Amino acid sequence: MRSFAVLLGKEATALFSSPIAYVLMTVFLLIMGYSFTLTLFLSHQPSMVHIFFQMFVLFMLTVPLITMRLFAEERKLKTLEVLLTAPVSEVAIVLAKFLAAMSLIVVMLVLSGTYAAALAWFGDPDFGPIYSGYFGLLLFGSALVGAGLLASALTANQVIAALISLSVFLLLWIIDNFGWLLPSPADTLVVNLSLSVHFRPFAVGSIYLSDVGFFLSVTLLTLLLTVRALARR
Amino acid sequence: MLSAVSPVVVAERVTKWYGPRRAVADVSFAIAPGEIVGLLGPNGSGKSTIFRMLTGYLVPTSGRIEVAGHDVVEDSLGVRRAISYVPEDAPLYDHMRVSEFLHFMAGIKGLHGPKARAAVDEAAERLDLARVMRLTTGKLSRGFRQRVSIAQALLGDPKVLVLDEPTSGLDPHQVIAVRDLIQSLSGRHTVLMASHILPEIEKMASRVMILLDGVLLTPDALKDAAQDLALRLSADATEDAVRSATKTVAGVREIIADPSSAGRLLIMAERRPLLAEDLVSALVAAQIPLRELTELRPDLERVFLDLTRPEAAA
Repeated sequence: MRSFAVLLGKEATALFSSPIAYVLMTVFLLIMGYSFTLTLFLSHQPSMVHIFFQMFVLFMLTVPLITMRLFAEERKLKTLEVLLTAPVSEVAIVLAKFLAAMSLIVVMLVLSGTYAAALAWFGDPDFGPIYSGYFGLLLFGSALVGAGLLASALTANQVIAALISLSVFLLLWIIDNFGWLLPSPADTLVVNLSLSVHFRPFAVGSIYLSDVGFFLSVTLLTLLLTVRALARR
Repeated sequence: MLSAVSPVVVAERVTKWYGPRRAVADVSFAIAPGEIVGLLGPNGSGKSTIFRMLTGYLVPTSGRIEVAGHDVVEDSLGVRRAISYVPEDAPLYDHMRVSEFLHFMAGIKGLHGPKARAAVDEAAERLDLARVMRLTTGKLSRGFRQRVSIAQALLGDPKVLVLDEPTSGLDPHQVIAVRDLIQSLSGRHTVLMASHILPEIEKMASRVMILLDGVLLTPDALKDAAQDLALRLSADATEDAVRSATKTVAGVREIIADPSSAGRLLIMAERRPLLAEDLVSALVAAQIPLRELTELRPDLERVFLDLTRPEAAA
């Protein structure tokens, strides 16, 4: 357990000591702040539904940048040899990297919580959709980080890792648009792979077990595949 | 020797394929506790692949490897607890300070608190790292990177140390320091190290294995070298006269002109007691004035070249 804490500390330090984390957080807050202000002044509604959808898109664009280096850089610099020949399990290594990346997602969500705080201060928002939206974003973020981690474990090139995860995210974002065109039962199958189909209910205040299960399954599956990718050499 | 003490590293018929390319072919060896074994071979001969399989980084395509009683596939963590690895080129986390890196490595090896501090201090002292402990590893010279990498391997007092090209890229002073360090590890640790530099490995290892194109040519090249005896002879006589005088001496295989010393001869013979005395008697009986008869030390280079020349390998 203490070895895991050491691994987690190393990953978190590496992440938060790199400029990329701060650039991402700054860009994220600038875009979200602009969007939040604009939506609020135009709609005069104390709601965060639009913000959640924008965060949903921004996560798909930023998570590949967070996860791309996690394994690819170690593979390229050959430090992966040092790490994987040390007496720590592949599961611990993958979980430490996953949790470190998730900590940046959580920090971004917490910082965006200032918008909810502003709504609460100046208005009387319905907190149900706000809680469910944040819960959904957390689950969505964990699925993306899992997938990004898997992409990073498959290559020594960070750019390729980022491009793989970005392509997969964008495909799964819009896949429901094609899914509706397919005959039954392929349409249901493809539509249910869609990230937006599973996220939409969270943003508007509904939590379905199927959506929670989808994001948790994607997270677990990608983490398992990452461990497998590392163990099978 | 190996039968008396149970080996700490055992490889049995280990083969590794990278796609269609066979990197290691049917390699078997055993290493006794406390041995310093050198794995010698040209670049690309499969040394690093063998080390990566021993340390659990790569999985053998077939065959079995056991380290300290743990199977590398079935109990990889057990193996990793018993073994420490210094990969080629000394990869380090360049953003970490040396002390931070050593503490991190101590931590993942299960050393925490005062134990970690003591282990890091001891390793830093053995590798003379005191003046670079606060520097980031990315700013270190090649020599210091190598030393930091060896220091991390010593943390946790592993039974087996695997060093891939430990002296490559070092200046002569650093080479001597690393050589002394490796020799000081003898007995306390079992050391397996790879090199393509023959004189280096000859100076450090108590046993040398030779690898070529993934095939282990000999598990003990020094023994092979010692089996044959080479004597340098200087005498006032022709090569034919010496040959005829010594033809009755048992064990003499071949007499040739010494390529490294004009006017002298090399007598190649089987190693046996009183051979030199018999040679001298034979030469004196043939009234050949003898100026010099010297035993040459076992020549690893000769064995290496013999084994790795194309027709021998074929």
